[in-house]
Amino acid sequence: MIAELGHLALCFALAISLVLAIFPLYGSYKGAAGPVLLARPLAILLFLLTSVAFGALCYSFWSNDFTVLNVASNSNSMLPWYYRMTAVWGSHEGSMLLWVLMLSGWTAAVALLSNSLPLILQGRILGVLGIINVGFYGFVLFMSNPFERTLPFFPVDGRDLNPLLQDFGMIIHPPLLYMGYVGFAVSFAFAIAALLGGRFDSNWARWARPWTLAAWLFLTLGIMLGSWWAYLELGWGGWWFWDPVENASLMPWLVGTALIHSLAVTEKRGTFKSWTVLLAIAAFSLSLLGAFLVRSGVLVSVHAFATDPSRGLFLLFFLLVVVGGSLLLYGVRMHAVRSQARYQLFSREVLLWGNNIFLLTATLVVFLGTLYPLFHKELGLGSISIGEPFFNSIFQYLAIPFALLLGLGPWVRWKQQQWQPLLKPLSMVLVAALVLAVGVLSLYQTPSANLALLGLILGAWVAVSTVGEIQQKAVQLGGVPGLFKLQASHWGMVLGHLGFAMLVVGIAMTKTFSVEKDVRMKIGDSVELNGYTFLLSDVYALNGPNYGGQAAELEVFAHGEKLTHLHAEKRFYPVTRSVMTEAAVDARLSRDLYVALGEELSGPSWALRVYVKPYVRWIWLGAILMALGGLVSLGDKRYRRKTAAVTSPQSSAATGAPADA
Amino acid sequence: MRKTVFYVPLAAFLLLSLFLLSGLFSDPRDHGSALLEKPLPAFSLPDLQQPNRQISAADFRGEVTLLNVWGVWCPTCNAELAFLTTLRQQGVRIVGLYYVQPVDAAFGEKFDLPTLQQQVRDKLAEQGDPYLFNVVDEQRSLIFDLGVTGAPETFVIDREGVIRHHHVGDINPQNWPQLQRIYQQLQQGADHVPTP
Repeated sequence: MIAELGHLALCFALAISLVLAIFPLYGSYKGAAGPVLLARPLAILLFLLTSVAFGALCYSFWSNDFTVLNVASNSNSMLPWYYRMTAVWGSHEGSMLLWVLMLSGWTAAVALLSNSLPLILQGRILGVLGIINVGFYGFVLFMSNPFERTLPFFPVDGRDLNPLLQDFGMIIHPPLLYMGYVGFAVSFAFAIAALLGGRFDSNWARWARPWTLAAWLFLTLGIMLGSWWAYLELGWGGWWFWDPVENASLMPWLVGTALIHSLAVTEKRGTFKSWTVLLAIAAFSLSLLGAFLVRSGVLVSVHAFATDPSRGLFLLFFLLVVVGGSLLLYGVRMHAVRSQARYQLFSREVLLWGNNIFLLTATLVVFLGTLYPLFHKELGLGSISIGEPFFNSIFQYLAIPFALLLGLGPWVRWKQQQWQPLLKPLSMVLVAALVLAVGVLSLYQTPSANLALLGLILGAWVAVSTVGEIQQKAVQLGGVPGLFKLQASHWGMVLGHLGFAMLVVGIAMTKTFSVEKDVRMKIGDSVELNGYTFLLSDVYALNGPNYGGQAAELEVFAHGEKLTHLHAEKRFYPVTRSVMTEAAVDARLSRDLYVALGEELSGPSWALRVYVKPYVRWIWLGAILMALGGLVSLGDKRYRRKTAAVTSPQSSAATGAPADA
Repeated sequence: MRKTVFYVPLAAFLLLSLFLLSGLFSDPRDHGSALLEKPLPAFSLPDLQQPNRQISAADFRGEVTLLNVWGVWCPTCNAELAFLTTLRQQGVRIVGLYYVQPVDAAFGEKFDLPTLQQQVRDKLAEQGDPYLFNVVDEQRSLIFDLGVTGAPETFVIDREGVIRHHHVGDINPQNWPQLQRIYQQLQQGADHVPTP
């Protein structure tokens, strides 16, 4: 009964999204207010109906209703309640329902927060979102209905949730990731609305910016959590694998990063318009492409859901309509738009253009690396695979110019900048960065030209230059109290750039100095790695709610003193007959100690894998800092002005030197 | 010119869609083999039941052969044995390439030939023995050279010792007719085999 209610709510939601896709766009085309006024209540209704459907599925999982196929396939009565809730989005069908819940949530948010937008624009944006909603509701209802029943022959218990997904990270990783993916639909809708209306002024960019930032910050956190979760759950000590599905999430992130920078130029200087619109289309298109890659089975991946060509066909058709249609519109409309703003070769515009170029090159590298095996095979050239070395080496080279530009960017003014005033502060920054980098590295080894030195120099350059720029601002604005006059978006930028510096340092240090050892240990044995002694003190049987297995206790000593205690598990989930590693991690800012318990061997003894991973935390902390930067930027007062201020972008840029992006 | 530039993204996307469409209808796990239409790589490996006898690529000349990669640890391979045995009775020449699972010396496992010979004898007595003989690839070197991704896999080798077809998965009454066409054409000395 409850499941049928959910199903019914979804059917209504599809109908509502159809109305939303047709009437407001028609109204804005005809200039009739009536149909456009429908848009906001419809969007809110859409969200409410989807919440009912989602709630119904949650209830089915909560109450162990195994007459619902999705529950029977992905849950079990022994599963703790919080994992039963996670199981709601642990399957293809459930995750699509989560996807439409978020899509309708963003649509409703746009409806609620778009008071200040002109009515016609509201209609266009919500109408475009309506079209996207129609596609996804259709997909959920016709291709992957989560409410299908097993009746009349229902199982007494379910097949259990994949143990990999029984983790805290899984509770929040997909929702955050989907919030990001789907959030780019809003930037996309803004871009299409602008294309339809032919207006790309700085107001348009100012309205689109906070939505893009919000989507980007969710995606950042989602990817970060995915990486952290893989690190903990897979027992391999790695944090990024360049798996096709990881790549599918990285591509919209890279383009989204380019987009938030490009939007800054469009807002401040009224230029880069065609570029910004293309990026907004690309960010969401890549999200859709990611959904297609994950759910169609064209690529081999650890993340792929069970494959079904008819689902892939549906998504591909939808992709053709949405992406093909928007790119066609782009071709028809965009060539008429010209930017008037002028700028010199050495200006912030050109540096941000450089930022975009490098981010897009990185996207292209990921794109080709992910899809090249498919192209190669479909051209009849045979199967190939592209792995870590390809991506790692190219990203290493891309990071150098990118970080150099990034450190320089905030110092440079819009329109034009003279070299001379920057020479002194920037050479001080450079010297400080070099000293800092070599100093930190000498704590670990005699400095030599390796990846760690490169990463430390780039990270220090970005960090010191960011701090230096703030210090310069403080001097200009009359001391530290003056810093309160800086806009929130400026602080957001500072945090984002510092986060990037942390990320670079973390990656370079972990890649260079991580050590690992595979050992066979009896109880009482110890192993020494990088100055740490790991003593296996006990191994005993585990009794979890829905799993058994073994747990190992280890004592860690450094310099003869007890440092910490580690608890590693090897779990066996009887329902799915699978084994899971719960790694033991002692995390510090400067290093992680990581132990994964393996097979029991004769003796009795155990196979253990022990890692020391310096600075690995910095990767995730850097990503969190970047997301925090996005959050702070969102707080900028400019985005919350009730009435759209009509200032020409040129005049605001000419007067406000300290007040910038 | 300026107008055309703005259609480049659309063109690129349409091209991509073509690839995605064709990708939908092919299995990403179907790898093919890099050695297709190439001679068997040179090797010298012992016969499983008579370890003194060394087998090399020369043993595959003169007759069309199915080289079947299998192991007693692989359920699908075991299920396939009965059907392969009926093929042998019809006169198909089948040679086994025995896939030895990796042993980890660090953890005290070692390769034990007599036990393996006994296991194979028991399994073949129980399920039927389709093999003329079995090649045992302890270090998995030939298996690596052939680009085997799992078991069972079967290579069709022509009279010149050239690999003409690679079949991934089991051979069963449903898919045999296709393989049979290739096999028979090769027996008649065909230069081109139909792609199934």
